[in-house]
Amino acid sequence: MSVGVLVRHHVRLHRAALLPLAAGLALFEWLMTFVAGEPAVSRFLSEALRAAPPQFLALLNQDLLVGVSAQGIVGVGYAHPFALLMMAVWAVRVPSGALAGEIGRGTMDLVAARPVGRGAQVAAALVVLLGGLLLLTIAAWLGTLVGLTMRPLAGVSAWRYLPVAATLCLVFACFGAIGILVSSLAREGGVAIAWLSGLLAGSYVLDYVARVWPRLAALRPASLFRYYEPQRLVTAGFRGGDVVVPVAVGAAALVLALAVFARRDL
Amino acid sequence: MKPADLDAPPIRTRGLGKRYGPVVALRDLSLDVAAGEVFGFLGPNGAGKTTTIRILLGVIRADSGEARVLGRPVASAGVAWRGEIGYLPGDLTFWPGLTGAETLDFLAGLSGRPAGARQRLLERLGLPASVLARPVRTYSDGMKQKLGLVQALQCEPSLALLDEPTKGLDPLVQQAFYEIVLELRRRGATVFLSSHVLPEVERVCDRVAMLRAGTVVSVGDVEALRRAERRRVIADFDADVDPASLGHFGELAVASPRHVEMMVAQAAIPALVARLGLLPLADLVVERPSLEEAFLEHYR
Repeated sequence: MSVGVLVRHHVRLHRAALLPLAAGLALFEWLMTFVAGEPAVSRFLSEALRAAPPQFLALLNQDLLVGVSAQGIVGVGYAHPFALLMMAVWAVRVPSGALAGEIGRGTMDLVAARPVGRGAQVAAALVVLLGGLLLLTIAAWLGTLVGLTMRPLAGVSAWRYLPVAATLCLVFACFGAIGILVSSLAREGGVAIAWLSGLLAGSYVLDYVARVWPRLAALRPASLFRYYEPQRLVTAGFRGGDVVVPVAVGAAALVLALAVFARRDL
Repeated sequence: MKPADLDAPPIRTRGLGKRYGPVVALRDLSLDVAAGEVFGFLGPNGAGKTTTIRILLGVIRADSGEARVLGRPVASAGVAWRGEIGYLPGDLTFWPGLTGAETLDFLAGLSGRPAGARQRLLERLGLPASVLARPVRTYSDGMKQKLGLVQALQCEPSLALLDEPTKGLDPLVQQAFYEIVLELRRRGATVFLSSHVLPEVERVCDRVAMLRAGTVVSVGDVEALRRAERRRVIADFDADVDPASLGHFGELAVASPRHVEMMVAQAAIPALVARLGLLPLADLVVERPSLEEAFLEHYR
């Protein structure tokens, strides 16, 4: 019962952020279908991509041959830093606010003095994290669906982007689970935000550097972004590691978070 | 989860100890608080009052010793027992974006008990519906404290742990709060009240513990505590006397030939009065110490 009460509480605290994030994502993905269907824009992007150095293309997580197609341009929408940032805001905000944020604000005593288990607090944070990420993912994909329904593109189906959106959700759910672990260790929401943002940015940079610098290629699996490759997902579908690694890392982070939070002083 | 010992006092601690790094917050704290009593927990800032309450709630863990609340060991009793507890934190903070009503609903929901006393408390403490409809960020400190009291007591707890409950309240609301505490006692609830406002402890508490640097220095009835303390004796004379001739009865505070003030143990009062009767006594006042004087004497 207390999990439900806590979930409603977190939703009330974070709902104001969810709507603009979802609207922003939906609008952005819709815009990408519009861009992909606009010959002049498409031509300009194709030429720009052909002229761009491979390091820049790596930043967009693009394979050039796919990127110049309409299917590739729509796919860019799922690898673009804007889309990643929208997801990251939720994956950082909710875990940081739920545990460390309550401690830092001084409201944890009011919650912890009631018949609420520490596990219930972690579970509530997880439910709100996953629920929000799911909504954002659906919003993003609906943007693509609506765009492609309003303006169909030859050979491009919105359904091909469903696995992409699902993997995007999974990767950020994993980051969120790590965020819950970070939050279970911290005493201030701001500290948890700083650590988790740094981890996200570091993971992104590691993936990018490992792609453009062959000497560091072996380090790429250490980045969670390694398991999120939109273009490959569109063209070749899921690979086992795309799911197994984020799920395993996220589950391990949650188990650790439960163990740490259950034993610490609040 | 261990079963409750129904005959045990609502609060029992034995040898509680807690350190924060090099700082000793509590040292060997042993206390019993009986069912239905209003227990005052006195001490200066940093004495360990809040640490004790947070250990009793299981929010932090003791390094040594055991705390039992409502007959259950806090460390291994699960969480269900906390539904019977009302808690007012000393450093009270709320969610600034929530309204007062949303805050009370949320916290009652977590307690898992109906908020049967809410309306009555709101009326007595003077928090109207128009205030409850506003976000807490717009509240004054006094309003927040009232909201804190309501959230602590709205579910009619059998044990109330109140840390500095009258902080920021005006005298009229303080009066209302004292009446609420006495009602809780009439209803059979136990109240554990931490404070350094001595007149309020004197007014509502049955027993009091004094804490200094994490150690209990005195526990007893408020009355017994007062009795154990020295009396202030003020004597005026019609003719000059030698104040030094009274020095062995107690501690001379003011010593002049016609006016003497001294602190005297209760046991020495009869002998002193007999001696004064032999002197040209014009007036005699024997004052009982206030709890504040008793308190200060302990901390001197």
